[in-house]
Amino acid sequence: MNEATDFVLFLGRFHPLIVHLPIGFLFFAFLLELYSKWKNSPALTSAIPLALLSGAISAALACILGYMLSQGGDYSEDTLDIHFWFGIATTIITFLAWLIRVEKINLPKLNNIKSNISLLTLIVVLLSITGHYGGNLTHGSGYLTKYAPFGKEKKHPLAPISKIEDAKVYSYLVNPILENKCTSCHNTDKKKGGLMLHDSISILKGGKNGDVLIAGNASKSELVRRVLLNPHHDDFMPPEGKTPLTEEEITILTYWINNANADFESNIGSIETPDQVLEIASNMLGLGSKKKGEVDLPTIGAIDDAVLNDILSEGFNLRELVYESNLYEVLLPPNTIAESNADQLDIKLQKLSKIKDHILWLYIENNQLNDSHMKLINQFQNLQKLVISKNHITDTGVLEIKNLSNLNSINLYKTSITKKSLEHFSKMENLKKVYAWQTKILEKDLEPFKSANLFEVIIAP
Amino acid sequence: MCDHHDILKSNNKDLQSVEKQIDRRHFLKKTSLGLGALALGSLLNTEKAWSSIGTPDSTEAILANYNKNRLGLPHHLPKAKRIIYLFQSGGPSQMDLFDYKPKLVDMFGQDLPKSVIGGQRLTGMSGSQSTLPIAPSVFNFKQYGESRAWVSELMPHLSEVVDDLCFMKGMQTDQINHTPAITFFQTGHQLPGRPSIGSWLSYGLGSDNENLPTFITLVSKNGKGQPLKASLWGNGFLPTEHQGVQFRSGKDPVLYLNNPDNYDGNDRKKMLDYLDKLNTIQHDAYGDPEIQARMTQYEMAYKMQTSVPEVTDTSDEPDHIFEMYGKDSRDAGTYAANCLMARKLLEKGVKFVQLYHQGWDQHLFCPGGLKNQCQKTDQGTAALIKDLKQRGMLDDTLVIWGGEFGRTVYSQGQLTDKNYGRDHHPKAFTMWMAGAGVKPGFSYGETDDFSYNVTKDPLHVHDFHATLLHLFGIDHERLTFKHQGRRYRLTDVHGHVVKDLLT
Repeated sequence: MNEATDFVLFLGRFHPLIVHLPIGFLFFAFLLELYSKWKNSPALTSAIPLALLSGAISAALACILGYMLSQGGDYSEDTLDIHFWFGIATTIITFLAWLIRVEKINLPKLNNIKSNISLLTLIVVLLSITGHYGGNLTHGSGYLTKYAPFGKEKKHPLAPISKIEDAKVYSYLVNPILENKCTSCHNTDKKKGGLMLHDSISILKGGKNGDVLIAGNASKSELVRRVLLNPHHDDFMPPEGKTPLTEEEITILTYWINNANADFESNIGSIETPDQVLEIASNMLGLGSKKKGEVDLPTIGAIDDAVLNDILSEGFNLRELVYESNLYEVLLPPNTIAESNADQLDIKLQKLSKIKDHILWLYIENNQLNDSHMKLINQFQNLQKLVISKNHITDTGVLEIKNLSNLNSINLYKTSITKKSLEHFSKMENLKKVYAWQTKILEKDLEPFKSANLFEVIIAP
Repeated sequence: MCDHHDILKSNNKDLQSVEKQIDRRHFLKKTSLGLGALALGSLLNTEKAWSSIGTPDSTEAILANYNKNRLGLPHHLPKAKRIIYLFQSGGPSQMDLFDYKPKLVDMFGQDLPKSVIGGQRLTGMSGSQSTLPIAPSVFNFKQYGESRAWVSELMPHLSEVVDDLCFMKGMQTDQINHTPAITFFQTGHQLPGRPSIGSWLSYGLGSDNENLPTFITLVSKNGKGQPLKASLWGNGFLPTEHQGVQFRSGKDPVLYLNNPDNYDGNDRKKMLDYLDKLNTIQHDAYGDPEIQARMTQYEMAYKMQTSVPEVTDTSDEPDHIFEMYGKDSRDAGTYAANCLMARKLLEKGVKFVQLYHQGWDQHLFCPGGLKNQCQKTDQGTAALIKDLKQRGMLDDTLVIWGGEFGRTVYSQGQLTDKNYGRDHHPKAFTMWMAGAGVKPGFSYGETDDFSYNVTKDPLHVHDFHATLLHLFGIDHERLTFKHQGRRYRLTDVHGHVVKDLLT
């Protein structure tokens, strides 16, 4: 295809403007026909020829402008072909319909109500098909049904990953950005600048202006250079009116081209990754930023409503710690259990243990908790914080804690623990804080643990 | 004009029959406004149009409350679940308290170099002075704790807990005068009308104890100096139930909670239930969220009739606690007593307690004024840290200390050996945080030899807000509220989380 002149393209861009005229005229002609028949008012039909003629002329004009636009070569050939021929067919049939109506072509057999309606129906059908393919060209083929409530299917869902190091830079980070911000104009149907960005092959192929990528040199790569331009620059991408890339997205693209040499298979773990990128990446993948010594959040399904309701009715307060993580802070308000009916706590804890893996923070302060309950609490394996102050706990109870390897802080203020508990705590890897004010632990008991710097014990201000 | 012609569209059967009747005016109105009115009506009443008919039963409502937070919060695992903000109103002098500047002694009385001021516009109070004489602090500084933090002799009690504090010495604000500066600190904007920090937290995270307000403000009694106003703990455009409730100093922390004479209060609940029904009808008809807020507030007031006397009663506190907070703590309404009260409120599940202590505005007689201020506040502040720590509450409670800006190194008014005054200074000042998720025994940010410019790690108010929200599991860019056509945040379009402050 020869390069079209700028003037032709300039005119061609009026195609989307003009193309809506025949759509309006012809639908209106169809409507008039139906309406006049329904109301039996033949007077209305006198407007139909005019509507048909206007439709035909504007359709012809739209065809010419459309052809000019197609000279730009930004569109997929197949879809374009269909759109092109259906457009021409619509135009010709409209002209014919008009000629029949005004009896320039004298076919009385065809100029009756039945055939009139069927001809107009045909025009409307053709119009719809042409319009649909035209829409596919501008917006991409999935545009119409993307948010449809039915028939949703996720193409190639990415396998969930648990470690950020395992994520492929291209498929987990770069591709989602391109899909979000670029591929609506750079896809198989609509390839602006001859460029497609929906898969690795087409990215490597580049566009009319050459390669998009120069491995190892992001600032020279069109993919990055263009998004970094002054937004008013003609070459700036995405063009005016579309959402520009965020700083984080640009950082990821730059990182991919520079650090991963724009390789499509590299993992985050296999290449040099600055902390800043790691943070952005973990946010994008919803993995949460990780620090040394920090425990990963467990993944767990939702709690059954009936179970949850049962626990709430026992007087526990629940608060979800991260939205839709199904991980909770659970608190039994102090003094819920009186000394006289201490056995009620057994029932409550039994019920609570149904969601034991969902609980990260547990507060059972001043509620007649004793050593016998600790065996059950030991099963709450995801606990990070345990507040059981002002209860009847001794070393015996503390020694029951064996499985709580994620425990970060434990509050045993106003209980009866002694230094024996400290020895037990010193074996717990992640434990950082032990609150033990008003217990039997004395200042001198802390000495052996101070040098090891294992955890902090707070016994007095 | 004619309010009785407002059209009710309630879900209540008895009222529906009344609503169906059409009188003359009504008829004319309807026919003349026709379709327009219909369209407008549906616009105004969208809340009702889209809501399901009938109210969900209570179980579902409760479950919905716990299962799904409609705001999608928290965004990440929080470190803090409650906060106490000790606001030192007036602007405490950083170089007399924490920001130790020993070189100033040799420069006593010298004019502050123009290069240091850097063309900054001074206030009208000292801007016209012929000289700006450098005034070194008259107070002695020492290093304390394992963190070797510098603290002046004015704060003997706080110096005992420096290893729990995280100093921010490069604080910066945009505002140089009290009202805009304090409003900026509390709401993220210098003009009144935006929601305060506490309101945002209440809106975003909800309540942990439905018998007490989520956000409570305590102001030290007999405060002199720059006035405080309710917009500092106001809800701005957020629903009204998120505004801070001020507990007054003295016997009656909340007015009119007691039943009037000769009324036993037994049918109060019944009365409120009927009122609730009427308000529900009203809300159904107009969809005004303020009606809902009012219902919530009535309910809260009723619950506070029992919860407030309980929580404000300090008689069961042992003597050693009072001794720790200082003798002022037995005098309700003082700063020390408020610190103690704050701890009790936090224990009960109040999320945000905001203390205000006025009088830090030492334009004149700075040394004497500071001595007086510190005597009133130092012991209470330190005791609060200790008390929270020994109870294990510092683990998930954030404590913040600071004013709205700092003070100048040069003397406002006459400088003598023993006396000087200091003017407002927004470009560098000191605050500290402690507790949940912030690095203990840490100092962030540095100033030049004059404590005038930040030389390393500046920390703007917006960054402070972003970091505060981060500690509560909130991404400051994603907690928004749409008002007058755009989405607002506490940090508006600014702010960065300062990760260096976090554990």
